[in-house]
Amino acid sequence: MEHAALDSIQFNEQIQGLMAPAPESTNSFTALLELPPPQAVKLLHSPDKAPTGSEKPPCHASILKPYPSIMSIIDGTRKLTFPSNTALIERAAKFSVFAEEGPPAPPVAEVKNEPPETDSNPSSTQCDPAVENKGAKRKEREKKVKARSKKSKSVAAAESSGDGEKLPYVHVRVRRGQATDSHSLAERARREKINARMKLLQELVPGCNKISGTALVLDEIINHVQSLQRQVEFLSMKLAAVNPRIHFNLDSIMPNEGASLMDSSIPNMASPLMWPEIPNNGNREQYQQPWQFDAFQQPVWGREEENPNFMTPENSMLSYDSSANSVPLQSNQLKMEL
Amino acid sequence: MRNQRSVKQEFLRKWITGLRRYSCDEKKNMSFLERKKAIKLSADIAMASTRDKTTRWSQALIANASSSGDTLTGSSKNNSSRSRKKMLMMRRRRPKVKSAKKEMSASCIAKRLAEKRTRKLKNLLPGGESIDEGCLVEETLDYIESLRAQIEVMRYLVTASQLIINPYP
Repeated sequence: MEHAALDSIQFNEQIQGLMAPAPESTNSFTALLELPPPQAVKLLHSPDKAPTGSEKPPCHASILKPYPSIMSIIDGTRKLTFPSNTALIERAAKFSVFAEEGPPAPPVAEVKNEPPETDSNPSSTQCDPAVENKGAKRKEREKKVKARSKKSKSVAAAESSGDGEKLPYVHVRVRRGQATDSHSLAERARREKINARMKLLQELVPGCNKISGTALVLDEIINHVQSLQRQVEFLSMKLAAVNPRIHFNLDSIMPNEGASLMDSSIPNMASPLMWPEIPNNGNREQYQQPWQFDAFQQPVWGREEENPNFMTPENSMLSYDSSANSVPLQSNQLKMEL
Repeated sequence: MRNQRSVKQEFLRKWITGLRRYSCDEKKNMSFLERKKAIKLSADIAMASTRDKTTRWSQALIANASSSGDTLTGSSKNNSSRSRKKMLMMRRRRPKVKSAKKEMSASCIAKRLAEKRTRKLKNLLPGGESIDEGCLVEETLDYIESLRAQIEVMRYLVTASQLIINPYP
C-alpha cells in the first residue's frame, strides 16, 4: 500500500484508484464497489465482520463451484477489500472525517482480529483512541448516513450475506425514515440476497438482460428451462433412434471419437449457425433431418474440404448454444478417457 | 471453463456406466420408446450424481428415479430414501396465507404475477415444489448449468454415433 500524505484530496484519489480495478465485470457485487471513498471505507468493514472472514462458507462455495467466473469475482472483491482495509481505516481515523459521527464507522476491534489478511500496519493500533469500539452487533445507522447509506446498505447486506450464510449477524444500514426493527431489516436483507441471485440468473439466461421486471424475467427463465428439458428429451430420442441397441454406441464410439472430432473441431470455429430451430422447439418431426447430415460427413474424416458450406449443418449442431471451444474440449475429454 | 469440462467428463463417464448396465442385464431387444426412456433416465441420473447431492434438485431426481423402481439406482436407493425423508422433514417452514379478496393495487398485481411464475418454476424444477424462494434461484442456476452440460454431451454423442454408422455414404 502506498503511504501518501494526509491530504483529503489525495486520500480520495487513492481510494478511487484502489476501487477502479474492481469493477471489470458486470456482476452486481463488484459494480457496487464503485463508490466514493467514505462509503468505501464504511463498507469495507462489513466483510471483515465474519469470524471466518478469510475463507468462504462451504455451502456457498459448493453451489457456486460451476461458476468459476462468479467465484473469481467474489475472490477478487475479497482480495481487494482486505489489503486496503487497515490503511484506509487508519487514514480515516486520522482525518476525523468520521469523528463527527458518534457511532464510529470502521470497527477497529475487528481489524485487529484479522491480522493475516492485511498487510498489517503497525499504526493501525493508533486508531483505537480515535475510534470508538462499538458492540459486535450493529444493525442500525442513524439518519446522519442518509444519502450514503443507500448504497452502502445494499452492499453491506449483499456482501455479508454473500460471505456468510454462516455469519451470525447481518450488517445492514437503514435508510432515512425506514423502519428499523429487526424483522423488516432481516426481510430486506433477504430481499437483497434474492435480487442479487436473480441478477446472476438474468445474466445466465440469454436475452434477459434487457428485460426489466420480475415477472417477465421469470417468464424467460421458465421458457429457457422448458426448452432445455425438451432438448434433452429430443436428444435422447435421437440417440435411441440412431442406435439399434443401447450397447452398440459404446463400443464403437470410444476408439473412433478422438480422431474424428479433432478433425472437425477446426472448421467449427468459424461456422455460422444453420439450425437454430432444432434445439429451440425440439420438434419430433425434425429428427428426420439428421439423416441428411450423412451426406455432409465426408470432410470430417480428414479429406480436403472442397466446400466449407457442407460442414455447417453438423458444425452448427456441435457449436450451437455453446462456444466453439466446447467441441475441442469434449474431444479432449474423450481422449483422456481412453 | 475447466470446471465445465470436468463436469462433462464426469457426466459422460457415469452415463456410459449406467447405459452399460442396461445392455448387460437385458439381452432382449428393447423397443424404441423403452430405449429412449432408458437413455434419458440414465442421462438424468448421471447428471444428478455429478452434483454429488449438494443440490436439492439432484437429490429429488435420484429419489424419484429410485421410487419408480428403476434398477439402475440400486446402490443409491438407501441414500435417496434417507434424503427424501430428510427433505420431507425440512418442509415445515412458512406456509403463506393467501387472502381471498381481490386487491387492485399495482404492487399486489405484480406480486401475484411473480407468485404465479415462481410456482411454475417450482413445478419445472425436480423437487422444487417445496423450496424456499431464496434457494429457488440458486437451484435454478445450478439446474440450468447442468442441463446445458448434459445437452452438449448428448448432442456430441448423437453426432458421433451418426458418424460411425454412416462414415462414407
